[in-house]
Amino acid sequence: MEIIIQGLKEGFQLIWQMDAEIVDVTLLSLQVSLTALVLAALIGIPLGAALALRNFRGKHIILNTIYTLMGLPPVLAGLLVYLFLTSRGPLGQYELLFTPTAMVIAQVLLAAPIVCGLTARAVMALSQEVYDTAATLGASRRQASLTIMREARMGIVAALTTALGRVIAEVGAVMLVGGNIRWHTRVLTTSIVLETRMGNFSTAIAIGIILLVISFAINMLILSLEKRTFRYENTIQIT
Amino acid sequence: MKTPFKLHNIVKRYGEREVLHIDQLSIPAGKIYTILGPNGSGKSTLLRIMALLLVNDEGQLEVLGEKVTWEKRQLLKLRRQMSMVTQTSFMFQGSVYYNVAYGMRARKISSRKIRSRVGELLEMVGMAAYRDADARTLSGGERQKVALARALAVNPRVLFLDEPTSNIDVASAAEIEKYIRHINQEQRTTIIMVTHNLFQARRLADEIMFISEGRIIEQGPGESLFTQPQDERTAAFLRGETVY
Repeated sequence: MEIIIQGLKEGFQLIWQMDAEIVDVTLLSLQVSLTALVLAALIGIPLGAALALRNFRGKHIILNTIYTLMGLPPVLAGLLVYLFLTSRGPLGQYELLFTPTAMVIAQVLLAAPIVCGLTARAVMALSQEVYDTAATLGASRRQASLTIMREARMGIVAALTTALGRVIAEVGAVMLVGGNIRWHTRVLTTSIVLETRMGNFSTAIAIGIILLVISFAINMLILSLEKRTFRYENTIQIT
Repeated sequence: MKTPFKLHNIVKRYGEREVLHIDQLSIPAGKIYTILGPNGSGKSTLLRIMALLLVNDEGQLEVLGEKVTWEKRQLLKLRRQMSMVTQTSFMFQGSVYYNVAYGMRARKISSRKIRSRVGELLEMVGMAAYRDADARTLSGGERQKVALARALAVNPRVLFLDEPTSNIDVASAAEIEKYIRHINQEQRTTIIMVTHNLFQARRLADEIMFISEGRIIEQGPGESLFTQPQDERTAAFLRGETVY
């Protein structure tokens, strides 16, 4: 308990003092995770929507594969990226291993199935009436598809927040492909592992608190945007 | 345009089950044409095929003078001359204004024209005060009025009504019926209405078709079908014997 209290104190101290190394680690964490999230959204949202809206042979196998990949172990994702980027791997010539780019690639691999799978679920949960109403009012296929996405937007935002939660707290993959190199690829989660291994438990807890504060702030921002965007979203009233 | 819809040997199946089989059907322009029949008789399937929302398995469909090929561009062109009010009056997330403006926005009509047309229609259906209200918090009757305004906003040549008053109270239903008659008389819009409400059909319809088990049993001028049904199944339905 003492360690935890000490960690809390140290955490607020670290935030207050704006320690240069902590600032660097925090910024890199944000840069890697947010870049991965944007790329995962660019891949996952259109793919999820297409899977939900189109009927083709093998659709259920693809959906099942994506749902399975939503639970992909981070270490396995890291290992796959490692094998591709290692000097003897197919992409070895680009010398990306142990760089923030490699960390982004690994995190995209983890986040994209989540965004894709949950987007597909959100779109599939809508009724046929959404399309029918749009079509009978003269919407083109593209306009009707955009309307469907608009109707599913709460689910898509949930997909993005879930994916962000997954990547920002992720340690196994970034450790493998980033190498936890000081001032270069060290992020908040790998710092926690390092400090724990060195026996600096209170520092590890302090960094953990910074991670939670960042996650809280990002979710807060998303929620406030949600409130502004979803002015007409109904909340179930329980009396 | 004498006959906006001509159907020839239209068949629709769900799996092995044939749910609709229409040998010949021509719907006259500018009239209120009512499709009457018990639940599961194929009324809504027929309406959805004519509204180009459901592809028929066999037969030839002619809509607004064109043989339907189900090609993307043709579908859009034809659909933009029709609109529909469904039983549940599905509302998009957003305001009443957003919903009524939807079809006009899809047609890229200027915001100024949209504002004035939405205002005019909401005034007509008595919903002007709800312009900025959340469309999903409206009552059943209010939704139906907004759905009607939304469908009329695009000046359709054909208006489909799928059980337009089935979920609302008598007073709201009477108001909706008043608007339906007004639209038909003032704008000569062809109205194709599906209902299992005999009284409503009798009050509104110029022509009625009775459908059962996916087949047309009888059709003709509204009043005569009620007073002198030619088929025993129609007579039984009118006596309330097969309403299930």
